[in-house]
Amino acid sequence: MNVLKLENIHKSFGDLRVLKGIELEINKGEILVILGPSGAGKSTLLRVMNMLEPPDEGRVIFLGRELDPKNKRLIKKARSRIGFVFQHFNLFSNMNALDNVAVGLVKVKKMDWKQAREIAKMYLAKVGLSDKAKVFPQKLSGGQKQRVAIARALAMEPELILFDEPTSALDPSLVGEVLEVMKKLAVEGRTMVVVTHEMGFAKHVASRIAYMEDGVIVEEASPEEFFSSPRSEMAKRFVGAILERMV
Amino acid sequence: MKLSKILAVGGVIALAAVMYAMLARVYPFNWSIVLRYKKLFWEGFIVTLKVSGVSVVISFMLGLIFAIFRVSKVDFFKDIAGLYVWFFRNTPLLVIILLTYYGVGTITNMNRFWAAALALSMFEGAYMTEIIRAGIEAVNPGEIEAAKSLGMSEFQIFSTVIFPQAMKISLPPLIGQMVSLIKDSSLASVIALQELTMMGRQVGTRTLASFESYITVAFLYILITSVISVGGRIIERRLSLS
Repeated sequence: MNVLKLENIHKSFGDLRVLKGIELEINKGEILVILGPSGAGKSTLLRVMNMLEPPDEGRVIFLGRELDPKNKRLIKKARSRIGFVFQHFNLFSNMNALDNVAVGLVKVKKMDWKQAREIAKMYLAKVGLSDKAKVFPQKLSGGQKQRVAIARALAMEPELILFDEPTSALDPSLVGEVLEVMKKLAVEGRTMVVVTHEMGFAKHVASRIAYMEDGVIVEEASPEEFFSSPRSEMAKRFVGAILERMV
Repeated sequence: MKLSKILAVGGVIALAAVMYAMLARVYPFNWSIVLRYKKLFWEGFIVTLKVSGVSVVISFMLGLIFAIFRVSKVDFFKDIAGLYVWFFRNTPLLVIILLTYYGVGTITNMNRFWAAALALSMFEGAYMTEIIRAGIEAVNPGEIEAAKSLGMSEFQIFSTVIFPQAMKISLPPLIGQMVSLIKDSSLASVIALQELTMMGRQVGTRTLASFESYITVAFLYILITSVISVGGRIIERRLSLS
Protein backbone atom coordinates (compact mmCIF):
# COMPACT_ATOMS: atom_id res chain seq x y z
CA MET A 1 0.00 0.00 0.00
CA ASN A 2 1.21 3.51 -0.69
CA VAL A 3 1.78 5.95 2.13
CA LEU A 4 1.39 9.04 0.01
CA LYS A 5 -0.09 9.55 -3.41
CA LEU A 6 -0.03 12.67 -5.54
CA GLU A 7 -2.51 13.06 -8.37
CA ASN A 8 -2.18 15.69 -11.08
CA ILE A 9 -0.55 18.30 -8.83
CA HIS A 10 -0.32 21.81 -10.21
CA LYS A 11 1.19 24.78 -8.41
CA SER A 12 2.01 28.30 -9.56
CA PHE A 13 3.55 31.30 -7.82
CA GLY A 14 2.05 34.24 -9.67
CA ASP A 15 2.75 33.68 -13.34
CA LEU A 16 5.44 31.13 -12.65
CA ARG A 17 4.20 27.58 -13.09
CA VAL A 18 6.32 25.50 -10.75
CA LEU A 19 4.54 22.12 -10.81
CA LYS A 20 2.76 20.95 -13.94
CA GLY A 21 0.72 17.86 -13.29
CA ILE A 22 2.77 15.68 -10.96
CA GLU A 23 1.76 12.04 -10.45
CA LEU A 24 3.69 10.20 -7.77
CA GLU A 25 3.26 7.35 -5.33
CA ILE A 26 5.41 6.66 -2.31
CA ASN A 27 5.23 3.13 -0.98
CA LYS A 28 5.81 1.96 2.55
CA GLY A 29 9.47 1.36 3.38
CA GLU A 30 10.69 2.95 0.22
CA ILE A 31 13.36 5.62 -0.15
CA LEU A 32 12.47 7.88 -3.01
CA VAL A 33 15.18 10.32 -4.06
CA ILE A 34 14.12 13.29 -6.16
CA LEU A 35 16.86 14.62 -8.42
CA GLY A 36 16.92 17.50 -10.84
CA PRO A 37 18.48 20.88 -11.58
CA SER A 38 17.79 23.94 -9.42
CA GLY A 39 14.41 25.46 -10.15
CA ALA A 40 12.90 22.17 -11.27
CA GLY A 41 10.27 22.38 -8.51
CA LYS A 42 11.70 19.68 -6.24
CA SER A 43 11.39 21.63 -2.99
CA THR A 44 7.92 22.88 -3.87
CA LEU A 45 6.84 19.32 -4.58
CA LEU A 46 8.11 18.25 -1.16
CA ARG A 47 6.28 21.15 0.49
CA VAL A 48 3.07 20.14 -1.25
CA MET A 49 3.40 16.69 0.30
CA ASN A 50 2.82 18.04 3.84
CA MET A 51 0.65 20.95 2.69
CA LEU A 52 3.10 23.69 3.56
CA GLU A 53 2.17 24.69 0.00
CA PRO A 54 -1.38 23.56 -0.80
CA PRO A 55 -1.61 22.67 -4.50
CA ASP A 56 -3.66 24.84 -6.87
CA GLU A 57 -5.03 21.72 -8.47
CA GLY A 58 -4.81 17.98 -7.87
CA ARG A 59 -5.05 15.70 -4.88
CA VAL A 60 -2.67 14.73 -2.08
CA ILE A 61 -3.70 11.43 -0.52
CA PHE A 62 -2.02 10.43 2.75
CA LEU A 63 -2.74 6.93 4.06
CA GLY A 64 -5.82 6.70 1.88
CA ARG A 65 -7.32 10.04 2.89
CA GLU A 66 -7.35 13.09 0.70
CA LEU A 67 -5.82 16.13 2.41
CA ASP A 68 -8.31 18.92 1.96
CA PRO A 69 -6.57 22.26 2.60
CA LYS A 70 -9.75 23.56 4.21
CA ASN A 71 -9.82 20.75 6.76
CA LYS A 72 -7.32 22.22 9.22
CA ARG A 73 -7.67 19.39 11.73
CA LEU A 74 -6.92 16.75 9.17
CA ILE A 75 -3.94 18.70 7.87
CA LYS A 76 -2.50 19.10 11.38
CA LYS A 77 -3.02 15.43 12.07
CA ALA A 78 -1.32 14.46 8.81
CA ARG A 79 1.60 16.82 9.47
CA SER A 80 2.15 15.28 12.87
CA ARG A 81 2.69 11.97 11.07
CA ILE A 82 4.89 13.36 8.28
CA GLY A 83 8.36 14.43 9.37
CA PHE A 84 9.98 17.34 7.56
CA VAL A 85 13.70 18.09 7.61
CA PHE A 86 14.66 21.49 6.20
CA GLN A 87 17.72 22.66 4.33
CA HIS A 88 18.29 25.38 6.92
CA PHE A 89 17.44 23.16 9.92
CA ASN A 90 14.92 25.64 11.39
CA LEU A 91 15.49 24.58 14.98
CA PHE A 92 13.55 26.64 17.51
CA SER A 93 16.17 29.09 18.72
CA ASN A 94 14.41 29.69 22.03
CA MET A 95 14.81 26.05 23.09
CA ASN A 96 17.75 23.80 23.77
CA ALA A 97 18.35 20.67 21.68
CA LEU A 98 16.37 18.43 24.02
CA ASP A 99 13.30 20.66 24.08
CA ASN A 100 13.47 21.09 20.32
CA VAL A 101 12.90 17.36 20.09
CA ALA A 102 10.40 17.18 22.96
CA VAL A 103 8.18 20.14 22.12
CA GLY A 104 6.23 18.38 19.36
CA LEU A 105 5.41 15.52 21.71
CA VAL A 106 4.18 17.95 24.34
CA LYS A 107 2.17 20.29 22.14
CA VAL A 108 0.87 17.89 19.52
CA LYS A 109 0.88 14.50 21.23
CA LYS A 110 -0.13 16.04 24.57
CA MET A 111 2.56 14.30 26.61
CA ASP A 112 3.87 15.91 29.78
CA TRP A 113 7.33 17.47 29.57
CA LYS A 114 8.98 14.86 31.75
CA GLN A 115 7.90 11.95 29.60
CA ALA A 116 8.55 13.87 26.37
CA ARG A 117 12.08 14.72 27.46
CA GLU A 118 12.77 11.07 28.26
CA ILE A 119 11.77 10.12 24.73
CA ALA A 120 13.68 13.08 23.29
CA LYS A 121 16.82 11.85 25.05
CA MET A 122 16.46 8.54 23.27
CA TYR A 123 16.26 10.19 19.88
CA LEU A 124 19.17 12.52 20.60
CA ALA A 125 21.19 9.44 21.48
CA LYS A 126 20.12 7.88 18.22
CA VAL A 127 21.61 10.76 16.22
CA GLY A 128 24.69 10.73 18.46
CA LEU A 129 24.04 13.94 20.35
CA SER A 130 23.32 12.85 23.92
CA ASP A 131 25.96 15.26 25.19
CA LYS A 132 24.33 18.26 23.49
CA ALA A 133 20.88 18.01 25.13
CA LYS A 134 21.20 21.29 27.03
CA VAL A 135 22.88 23.20 24.22
CA PHE A 136 20.99 25.91 22.32
CA PRO A 137 20.98 25.82 18.51
CA GLN A 138 23.21 28.92 18.24
CA LYS A 139 26.02 26.91 19.82
CA LEU A 140 25.70 23.85 17.56
CA SER A 141 27.51 23.20 14.29
CA GLY A 142 25.46 22.86 11.11
CA GLY A 143 25.78 19.09 11.12
CA GLN A 144 24.70 18.90 14.75
CA LYS A 145 21.74 21.19 14.09
CA GLN A 146 20.60 19.00 11.24
CA ARG A 147 20.91 15.88 13.38
CA VAL A 148 18.79 17.52 16.10
CA ALA A 149 16.27 18.42 13.38
CA ILE A 150 16.18 14.80 12.28
CA ALA A 151 15.69 13.69 15.89
CA ARG A 152 12.85 16.22 16.18
CA ALA A 153 11.15 14.68 13.16
CA LEU A 154 11.78 11.10 14.34
CA ALA A 155 10.42 11.67 17.82
CA MET A 156 6.94 12.09 16.36
CA GLU A 157 7.21 8.54 15.00
CA PRO A 158 6.22 9.62 11.50
CA GLU A 159 4.93 7.34 8.75
CA LEU A 160 6.95 9.31 6.24
CA ILE A 161 9.93 11.65 6.48
CA LEU A 162 10.57 14.36 3.91
CA PHE A 163 14.12 15.71 3.52
CA ASP A 164 14.54 18.99 1.66
CA GLU A 165 18.21 19.19 0.63
CA PRO A 166 19.32 18.31 4.16
CA THR A 167 23.04 18.67 3.44
CA SER A 168 23.06 21.61 1.03
CA ALA A 169 23.63 24.24 3.69
CA LEU A 170 26.40 22.30 5.40
CA ASP A 171 30.14 22.66 5.39
CA PRO A 172 31.47 19.83 3.17
CA SER A 173 33.23 18.32 6.19
CA LEU A 174 29.90 18.01 8.04
CA VAL A 175 27.88 16.37 5.27
CA GLY A 176 29.06 12.89 6.21
CA GLU A 177 27.65 12.83 9.75
CA VAL A 178 24.17 13.76 8.49
CA LEU A 179 24.23 11.24 5.64
CA GLU A 180 25.30 8.55 8.14
CA VAL A 181 22.19 9.19 10.21
CA MET A 182 20.02 9.11 7.11
CA LYS A 183 21.54 5.81 5.99
CA LYS A 184 20.78 4.38 9.40
CA LEU A 185 17.13 5.35 8.96
CA ALA A 186 17.12 3.77 5.53
CA VAL A 187 18.37 0.50 6.96
CA GLU A 188 15.57 0.59 9.54
CA GLY A 189 13.13 0.54 6.66
CA ARG A 190 11.63 3.96 7.15
CA THR A 191 9.70 5.59 4.36
CA MET A 192 11.58 8.62 3.13
CA VAL A 193 11.46 11.15 0.32
CA VAL A 194 14.77 12.91 -0.15
CA VAL A 195 15.52 15.91 -2.34
CA THR A 196 19.29 16.04 -2.60
CA HIS A 197 22.33 16.77 -4.71
CA GLU A 198 24.30 14.00 -3.00
CA MET A 199 24.70 11.56 -5.87
CA GLY A 200 26.43 8.97 -3.73
CA PHE A 201 23.43 8.82 -1.43
CA ALA A 202 21.04 8.65 -4.39
CA LYS A 203 23.00 5.84 -6.00
CA HIS A 204 23.56 3.66 -2.94
CA VAL A 205 20.62 4.32 -0.63
CA ALA A 206 17.65 5.15 -2.85
CA SER A 207 15.17 2.48 -3.76
CA ARG A 208 13.84 4.66 -6.55
CA ILE A 209 14.87 7.84 -8.32
CA ALA A 210 12.44 10.43 -9.63
CA TYR A 211 14.05 12.86 -12.02
CA MET A 212 12.37 16.28 -12.28
CA GLU A 213 12.85 19.10 -14.67
CA ASP A 214 10.74 22.21 -15.27
CA GLY A 215 7.88 21.15 -13.02
CA VAL A 216 7.47 17.70 -14.48
CA ILE A 217 8.68 14.25 -13.39
CA VAL A 218 10.58 13.25 -16.49
CA GLU A 219 11.69 9.82 -15.43
CA GLU A 220 11.28 7.30 -12.64
CA ALA A 221 13.78 4.49 -12.37
CA SER A 222 15.82 2.37 -10.03
CA PRO A 223 19.17 3.97 -9.15
CA GLU A 224 21.17 1.40 -11.15
CA GLU A 225 19.08 2.01 -14.21
CA PHE A 226 19.03 5.78 -13.79
CA PHE A 227 22.76 6.24 -13.44
CA SER A 228 23.83 3.66 -16.05
CA SER A 229 21.22 4.07 -18.75
CA PRO A 230 18.85 6.99 -18.33
CA ARG A 231 16.03 6.92 -20.87
CA SER A 232 15.12 10.55 -21.42
CA GLU A 233 17.36 13.10 -23.09
CA MET A 234 17.16 15.43 -20.10
CA ALA A 235 18.20 12.76 -17.63
CA LYS A 236 21.03 11.72 -19.94
CA ARG A 237 22.38 15.25 -19.94
CA PHE A 238 22.03 15.45 -16.14
CA VAL A 239 23.82 12.17 -15.51
CA GLY A 240 26.42 13.02 -18.15
CA ALA A 241 27.20 16.28 -16.41
CA ILE A 242 27.63 14.48 -13.07
CA LEU A 243 29.95 11.88 -14.53
CA GLU A 244 32.02 14.63 -16.11
CA ARG A 245 32.35 16.39 -12.78
CA MET A 246 33.49 13.22 -11.07
CA VAL A 247 36.36 12.67 -13.51
CA MET B 1 36.30 52.15 37.46
CA LYS B 2 38.08 53.25 34.32
CA LEU B 3 39.83 56.63 34.31
CA SER B 4 37.82 57.85 31.32
CA LYS B 5 34.61 57.16 33.20
CA ILE B 6 35.83 59.04 36.28
CA LEU B 7 36.78 61.98 34.08
CA ALA B 8 33.40 62.02 32.34
CA VAL B 9 31.37 61.81 35.55
CA GLY B 10 33.65 64.28 37.31
CA GLY B 11 33.39 66.71 34.40
CA VAL B 12 29.61 66.66 34.38
CA ILE B 13 29.44 67.13 38.15
CA ALA B 14 31.91 70.01 37.96
CA LEU B 15 29.88 71.67 35.20
CA ALA B 16 26.68 71.30 37.24
CA ALA B 17 28.44 72.71 40.30
CA VAL B 18 29.64 75.75 38.36
CA MET B 19 26.13 76.42 37.04
CA TYR B 20 24.71 75.96 40.54
CA ALA B 21 27.25 78.41 41.99
CA MET B 22 26.50 80.99 39.31
CA LEU B 23 22.79 80.63 39.90
CA ALA B 24 23.29 80.79 43.66
CA ARG B 25 24.83 84.27 43.31
CA VAL B 26 21.52 85.65 42.12
CA TYR B 27 19.07 83.12 43.52
CA PRO B 28 18.90 82.35 47.23
CA PHE B 29 18.64 78.54 47.40
CA ASN B 30 16.62 77.31 50.33
CA TRP B 31 16.63 73.53 50.43
CA SER B 32 14.75 73.27 53.67
CA ILE B 33 11.47 73.73 51.79
CA VAL B 34 11.95 70.29 50.21
CA LEU B 35 11.90 68.77 53.66
CA ARG B 36 9.08 70.95 54.79
CA TYR B 37 6.93 69.88 51.84
CA LYS B 38 8.18 66.32 51.65
CA LYS B 39 4.66 65.04 52.15
CA LEU B 40 3.48 66.73 48.94
CA PHE B 41 6.47 65.38 46.97
CA TRP B 42 5.83 61.95 48.36
CA GLU B 43 2.14 62.04 47.41
CA GLY B 44 3.01 63.18 43.90
CA PHE B 45 5.67 60.50 43.64
CA ILE B 46 3.13 57.82 44.58
CA VAL B 47 0.53 59.10 42.10
CA THR B 48 3.18 59.11 39.35
CA LEU B 49 4.14 55.56 40.26
CA LYS B 50 0.52 54.46 40.23
CA VAL B 51 -0.49 56.14 36.99
CA SER B 52 2.69 54.93 35.23
CA GLY B 53 2.39 51.44 36.67
CA VAL B 54 -1.20 51.04 35.51
CA SER B 55 -0.34 52.53 32.11
CA VAL B 56 2.72 50.31 31.64
CA VAL B 57 0.54 47.23 32.10
CA ILE B 58 -2.35 48.41 29.92
CA SER B 59 -0.13 49.85 27.17
CA PHE B 60 1.83 46.61 26.98
CA MET B 61 -1.37 44.61 26.63
CA LEU B 62 -2.66 47.01 23.97
CA GLY B 63 0.69 46.79 22.21
CA LEU B 64 0.60 43.02 22.25
CA ILE B 65 -3.01 42.78 21.02
CA PHE B 66 -2.59 45.35 18.24
CA ALA B 67 0.76 43.88 17.20
CA ILE B 68 -0.96 40.52 16.72
CA PHE B 69 -3.70 42.32 14.77
CA ARG B 70 -1.08 43.97 12.57
CA VAL B 71 0.51 40.68 11.58
CA SER B 72 -2.77 38.79 11.32
CA LYS B 73 -4.00 37.47 8.00
CA VAL B 74 -7.39 39.13 8.44
CA ASP B 75 -7.46 42.51 6.68
CA PHE B 76 -10.09 43.87 9.05
CA PHE B 77 -7.84 43.43 12.11
CA LYS B 78 -4.85 44.73 10.22
CA ASP B 79 -6.73 47.90 9.27
CA ILE B 80 -8.00 48.48 12.81
CA ALA B 81 -4.48 48.20 14.19
CA GLY B 82 -3.10 50.38 11.40
CA LEU B 83 -5.60 53.13 12.18
CA TYR B 84 -4.86 52.89 15.88
CA VAL B 85 -1.12 53.27 15.38
CA TRP B 86 -1.57 56.01 12.81
CA PHE B 87 -3.85 58.09 15.05
CA PHE B 88 -1.93 57.84 18.30
CA ARG B 89 1.52 58.24 16.81
CA ASN B 90 0.49 61.37 14.96
CA THR B 91 -1.32 63.22 17.75
CA PRO B 92 0.51 65.01 20.58
CA LEU B 93 0.11 63.30 23.92
CA LEU B 94 -0.94 66.56 25.52
CA VAL B 95 -3.87 66.80 23.11
CA ILE B 96 -4.82 63.16 23.74
CA ILE B 97 -4.84 63.73 27.49
CA LEU B 98 -7.06 66.80 27.13
CA LEU B 99 -9.41 65.04 24.72
CA THR B 100 -9.65 62.00 26.97
CA TYR B 101 -10.34 63.94 30.13
CA TYR B 102 -12.72 66.56 28.73
CA GLY B 103 -14.21 64.30 26.07
CA VAL B 104 -14.35 60.69 27.19
CA GLY B 105 -14.19 61.77 30.82
CA THR B 106 -17.29 63.91 30.49
CA ILE B 107 -19.35 61.22 28.80
CA THR B 108 -18.38 58.43 31.16
CA ASN B 109 -17.73 60.42 34.31
CA MET B 110 -14.13 59.22 34.39
CA ASN B 111 -11.89 60.78 37.02
CA ARG B 112 -8.53 62.45 36.37
CA PHE B 113 -6.47 59.44 37.30
CA TRP B 114 -8.17 57.03 34.91
CA ALA B 115 -8.38 59.60 32.14
CA ALA B 116 -4.63 60.13 32.39
CA ALA B 117 -3.98 56.39 32.57
CA LEU B 118 -6.19 55.72 29.57
CA ALA B 119 -4.61 58.49 27.48
CA LEU B 120 -1.08 57.39 28.37
CA SER B 121 -1.90 53.73 27.71
CA MET B 122 -3.43 54.39 24.31
CA PHE B 123 -0.57 56.68 23.29
CA GLU B 124 2.34 54.52 24.45
CA GLY B 125 0.49 51.37 23.35
CA ALA B 126 0.74 52.58 19.75
CA TYR B 127 4.53 52.71 20.02
CA MET B 128 4.63 49.34 21.78
CA THR B 129 2.51 47.90 18.96
CA GLU B 130 5.20 48.81 16.47
CA ILE B 131 7.99 47.53 18.73
CA ILE B 132 6.31 44.17 19.30
CA ARG B 133 5.30 43.87 15.64
CA ALA B 134 8.95 44.31 14.66
CA GLY B 135 9.86 41.63 17.21
CA ILE B 136 7.29 39.21 15.79
CA GLU B 137 8.44 39.83 12.23
CA ALA B 138 12.05 39.23 13.23
CA VAL B 139 11.31 35.60 14.11
CA ASN B 140 12.76 33.26 11.49
CA PRO B 141 9.86 32.17 9.24
CA GLY B 142 11.58 28.81 8.85
CA GLU B 143 10.96 28.08 12.52
CA ILE B 144 7.27 28.78 12.02
CA GLU B 145 7.24 26.31 9.12
CA ALA B 146 9.01 23.76 11.28
CA ALA B 147 6.36 24.17 13.97
CA LYS B 148 3.63 23.80 11.37
CA SER B 149 5.29 20.67 10.06
CA LEU B 150 5.11 19.12 13.52
CA GLY B 151 1.34 19.62 13.40
CA MET B 152 1.09 22.52 15.82
CA SER B 153 -1.93 24.84 15.73
CA GLU B 154 -1.59 28.54 14.98
CA PHE B 155 -2.05 29.34 18.66
CA GLN B 156 0.58 26.80 19.74
CA ILE B 157 3.00 28.18 17.19
CA PHE B 158 2.43 31.67 18.50
CA SER B 159 2.74 30.80 22.17
CA THR B 160 5.71 28.43 21.97
CA VAL B 161 7.82 29.75 19.10
CA ILE B 162 6.87 33.30 18.10
CA PHE B 163 5.93 34.99 21.38
CA PRO B 164 8.98 34.02 23.48
CA GLN B 165 11.37 35.06 20.73
CA ALA B 166 9.49 38.26 19.89
CA MET B 167 9.57 39.28 23.56
CA LYS B 168 13.28 38.71 23.81
CA ILE B 169 13.90 40.81 20.71
CA SER B 170 11.47 43.55 21.79
CA LEU B 171 12.62 43.82 25.39
CA PRO B 172 15.28 46.57 25.07
CA PRO B 173 13.10 48.96 23.03
CA LEU B 174 10.10 48.12 25.26
CA ILE B 175 12.06 49.15 28.35
CA GLY B 176 12.95 52.38 26.59
CA GLN B 177 9.29 52.98 25.83
CA MET B 178 8.37 52.37 29.48
CA VAL B 179 10.92 54.95 30.55
CA SER B 180 9.32 57.38 28.08
CA LEU B 181 5.92 56.57 29.52
CA ILE B 182 7.02 57.46 33.04
CA LYS B 183 8.40 60.79 31.89
CA ASP B 184 5.36 61.45 29.71
CA SER B 185 3.09 60.96 32.72
CA SER B 186 4.21 64.44 33.81
CA LEU B 187 1.92 65.82 31.10
CA ALA B 188 -1.05 64.62 33.14
CA SER B 189 -0.48 67.71 35.28
CA VAL B 190 -2.37 69.58 32.54
CA ILE B 191 -5.61 68.04 33.78
CA ALA B 192 -4.56 68.76 37.36
CA LEU B 193 -3.76 65.19 38.28
CA GLN B 194 -1.79 65.49 41.51
CA GLU B 195 1.26 63.70 40.23
CA LEU B 196 4.90 64.53 40.78
CA THR B 197 5.27 67.41 38.32
CA MET B 198 2.02 69.00 39.46
CA MET B 199 3.10 68.79 43.09
CA GLY B 200 6.49 70.21 42.22
CA ARG B 201 4.85 73.17 40.54
CA GLN B 202 2.56 73.70 43.52
CA VAL B 203 5.42 73.70 45.99
CA GLY B 204 7.40 75.98 43.68
CA THR B 205 4.68 78.59 43.38
CA ARG B 206 3.65 78.43 46.99
CA THR B 207 7.15 78.91 48.36
CA LEU B 208 8.76 80.75 45.45
CA ALA B 209 11.41 78.02 45.54
CA SER B 210 10.96 76.77 41.96
CA PHE B 211 14.51 75.54 41.41
CA GLU B 212 14.60 73.52 44.60
CA SER B 213 11.30 71.80 43.82
CA TYR B 214 11.96 71.18 40.11
CA ILE B 215 15.43 69.79 40.85
CA THR B 216 13.81 67.50 43.42
CA VAL B 217 11.17 66.45 40.89
CA ALA B 218 13.83 65.73 38.25
CA PHE B 219 15.79 63.66 40.74
CA LEU B 220 12.73 61.59 41.66
CA TYR B 221 11.96 60.88 37.97
CA ILE B 222 15.54 59.79 37.39
CA LEU B 223 15.23 57.50 40.39
CA ILE B 224 12.17 55.68 38.96
CA THR B 225 13.44 55.45 35.38
CA SER B 226 16.87 54.26 36.47
CA VAL B 227 15.35 51.44 38.49
CA ILE B 228 13.37 50.39 35.38
CA SER B 229 16.43 50.59 33.12
CA VAL B 230 18.65 48.61 35.45
CA GLY B 231 15.92 46.03 36.03
CA GLY B 232 15.45 45.72 32.29
CA ARG B 233 19.14 45.19 31.73
CA ILE B 234 19.22 42.42 34.34
CA ILE B 235 16.31 40.61 32.68
CA GLU B 236 17.96 41.08 29.28
CA ARG B 237 21.19 39.57 30.49
CA ARG B 238 19.37 36.63 32.03
CA LEU B 239 17.47 36.02 28.78
CA SER B 240 20.57 36.19 26.63
CA LEU B 241 22.13 33.43 28.73
CA SER B 242 19.42 31.03 27.66
